[in-house]
This record gives sequence, structure tokens and C-alpha cells, in this order.
Amino acid sequence: MAMIEVRGLTKTFGEVAVLKGIDLTLERGSVLVIIGPSGSGKSTLLRCLNVLETPSSGTIAIGNAGIAFAGGTRVRQADVLQLRRQSGMVFQAYHLFPHMTALQNVMEGQITSLRRPKEEARERAMRLLAKVGLETRADSYPHQLSGGQQQRVGIARAMSIDPQLLLFDEPTSALDPELVREVLKVIRELAQEGRTMIVVTHEMKFAREVADRIILIDEGVIVEEGPPEQLFGSPKQERTRQFLSRIMGD
Amino acid sequence: MSDHSERLWQIFTDSFLPLLHAGVAFTVPLTLISFVLGLLLALVTALVRLSDIPVLSWIARFYVWIIRGTPLIVQLFIIFYGLPSLGILINAFPAAVIGFTLSVGAYGSEIIRAAIISIPRGQWEAAYSLGQTRLQALRRIILPQAARVSVPPLSNSFISLVKDTSLAATVTVIELFAKGQQIVAATYEPMLIYCEVALIYLILCTVLAVLQRRLERYYERFDVR
Ligand SMILES: Nc1ncnc2c1ncn2[C@@H]1O[C@H](COP(=O)(O)OP(=O)(O)OP(=O)(O)O)[C@@H](O)[C@H]1O
Ligand SMILES: [Mg+2]
Repeated sequence: MAMIEVRGLTKTFGEVAVLKGIDLTLERGSVLVIIGPSGSGKSTLLRCLNVLETPSSGTIAIGNAGIAFAGGTRVRQADVLQLRRQSGMVFQAYHLFPHMTALQNVMEGQITSLRRPKEEARERAMRLLAKVGLETRADSYPHQLSGGQQQRVGIARAMSIDPQLLLFDEPTSALDPELVREVLKVIRELAQEGRTMIVVTHEMKFAREVADRIILIDEGVIVEEGPPEQLFGSPKQERTRQFLSRIMGD
Repeated sequence: MSDHSERLWQIFTDSFLPLLHAGVAFTVPLTLISFVLGLLLALVTALVRLSDIPVLSWIARFYVWIIRGTPLIVQLFIIFYGLPSLGILINAFPAAVIGFTLSVGAYGSEIIRAAIISIPRGQWEAAYSLGQTRLQALRRIILPQAARVSVPPLSNSFISLVKDTSLAATVTVIELFAKGQQIVAATYEPMLIYCEVALIYLILCTVLAVLQRRLERYYERFDVR
């Protein structure tokens, strides 16, 4: 069975339909990259998967958790928490907790949401920090770290609750160019380890490299979907061609 | 030294300990108790107002509106002189504590509410995405940061409160200022005694300001964007 199944997902803000029926299937261990113009609904889709936005309708199933959303009916908080804990979110602007050290940031979810004993949480957090190359900065506060380091702590934090799925929303677009590489390197390694990931990015070269599959979203619908060679090499849709020529042009 | 200045010095030194005692025995406890209770009330009021629970948040707004819109001295008079006519008799000291607590609660709730609102939405979302409940996010992520933001304005409230407790004199609490009045009545030296009272307030506030600085420095170990 697929690890992630999304059916008929819609999201409306007031009168504005931002997602207009998204269907997604993702196998365990595969990497999906989402591209698309600004305002097309990429962030909204990721936020719906993490239930930071409540979808207007549709179903989301990740691992063995799932919710069917239907406009108006309240979703149970326990279901929301359960679905949320299936995925770890890496934010564009990091959103590290500024009052906690890097280590505490990576322990926090383990302690409060997984109810892991402190010592075990600390050990695992140290291992995760080592994985992103920051074991020596464990006791630094976020404001003492560079943007690239902060984002790597963000990745370690997202992994700290042992999610089935990692979500990245433009993880490098707030970074200075020289810091982008160190973050992409970490994400690439995670992909090679066989992590299941959904990555929204404007880094096309990187997308091509890590993606098993790419989808292009425009105005809240999936315009085209396919393996990177096909989507970049011989796109079927006119809109895909336009988008790619615009983004490659600059 | 002339007889006159010798007499003044004598009065000054004789009254220093009684005044200091009134400060330490009444002004300081009145301030500390009212402030601690007031902060709790302020936190609850701020959270209730942010919660949008219909009736409760309406009550909270009404309470803040009343307290902020009326003079503290009038509130104290209502509690101490007014309530007995409804059969509610409260001793002077607890009456003053109630009055100051309500005041700190109302002004403090606005400070805390503003501080909570000032924490970026991304902090809530990061907490939620780790699977935290609303309460966990509030307690572990939002409030510690809001506390840091509100330390400077709350410290100001605290120092104002030290001085405002002199109003307790009007409801018969013999705190520092009331003690000064008593001594003036006995010595007929208002200039000397009230300056001495002022000096003791100054000492109390200065000590508190030093403590405040320490607290702020503790919170400055991290940086809230
Ligand atoms: N909370 C909200 N309330 C109202 N409208 C919103 C809200 N969040 C997003 N939108 C709107 O939904 C649309 C899609 O936004 P979204 O952030 O998902 O786009 P995006 O594809 O991530 O764009 P970008 O590449 O610029 O990040 C936009 O038009 C945006 O204005
Ligand atoms: Mg976006």
C-alpha cells in the first residue's frame, strides 16, 4: 500500500479556492518534488498535509493515520495530532524556538509529544545533530547560528519525532547563496537513505537530482506529473513548458 | 551644630527605623503579594481574552474596562468603605491587597496579551508540527518567549506598584506613607519626614530595579526576533 494517499483535496480561504482537488500517491522511500509558480498553492498543500491548515474537503492518509475532511464538520483533535505526527515539517523561515538551544529544539518534540525520557531524547537528538553536521553546536542558541546551520537544526527537529514523511517548504529560499549547498547536501543524503519526502523548491537542478517524481502545480491543480527526465526533458503540457522556460530563463 | 539642626537630626534618626519597619512590614509585603496574585490574574485574564470563549472573554474585557477606566483610589474606597454596606467586611490589609491585585491583573493582562500576540505565528506552527497540543505549545514555546517580551513593561508596573501602595494609607493600612503621616503629626516636621519617606521609597525602588536588571539579563540569553 502507498504510504501517502491524498484524494480530492481542496482548500478554500473565504471565497478563494487555493487547492482545487489534489490527488497524490507516494510510495515509501520515494521523493516527490513540487514545483510551480508563486501563489499556486504549493505551501498550502504541504500545510494541509501537516494539518497546519484544515482542508476544506478530501482525504489524507499517511502511514496508518488518516482523516476525511468535509466542509463544516469538525475534525477530532486526537485525529489531527495523530496525522500531524506522521510528518515532520521543515519551514522556509526555520521557525526554530529561539529560547532553546539547538539540542533542546531537537529534544522538544520527543519529550512533549512522544513522551520520551529526557536522556533518551538527548541521545537521539545528539545523533540527529551529528547527522546534519552540527554536533559541536548543540548548545548554541539559534541566533548564534548561521541561516544554513539553523535550517539544518530545523531538519533535525523535523526528524526528531520519527515521522514517516518529511515535508520541506522551500528550505533554502531564505538562505544566502553560499549557504544553500550545505542544506541541499543534507536533504540529498536523506533522499539517498530512502526517506520519504515531499520537497517544494525552486532549485531546479536539485529537483532533477533528488526527485523520483515531480509534479507541477498551477492555480491549485496538478498540471503535470512525471519522472524528472520526462517533466524537464519532454513536458506534455504547454503550461509546464511556459513555467520551465520562465524559471530557467532567469 | 545649632540646637535646631540637632533636633532635626534627632527626629530623622529616631524616625528612620519606624519608617523602614513600616516599609518592610507593610509596603513590601503589600507589593509582593499583590504583584504575584495580580500576575496570575493577569495571565488568566489574558488567556481568557485570547481564547474567544464567549461569556468568559466578555467578562474579562468588562473587568479590564472597569479597572482601567476608574481611579485606583476610588476602587480601594469601594472595597474598604463601600462593601461593608452590602455586609461584606474586609480588613484593611486584605482590602488593599484585593485592590492592588485587581489593578495589576487588569494592566498586566494587556501587557501579557500583547506579548503573546507578538510571538510570530510560525512558532505556534513549529510547535504544532512537532505534535504538541495547544496547551503544550502555549506553555513550552509561546509563554517563555512572551515572558521575555513582557519583563520590561511588567517591571515598570512593579515599580509603579511599590509607589501606588502608598494609597493603602487611605484605607487605614499603616504602611510607609501612613507611618510618615503619623510621625509628622507628632513632630510637626513635614518637610523632613516626607523627604525621609521619599528616601525610603527610593531605596526600595532602587533595590528592585537592580533585581529587574538581573531578570532581564537572564532573559537576554536568547534573542526573540
Ligand atoms: N491564510 C490565508 N488566507 C488567505 N489566503 C491565503 C492564505 N494562505 C495562502 N493564501 C493564498 O493562497 C494562495 C496560494 O498560496 P501558497 O502560499 O500556497 O502559494 P505558494 O505556491 O506556496 O507560493 P510561493 O511560491 O510564493 O511560496 C495565494 O494566493 C495566497 O495568497
Ligand atoms: Mg510557498
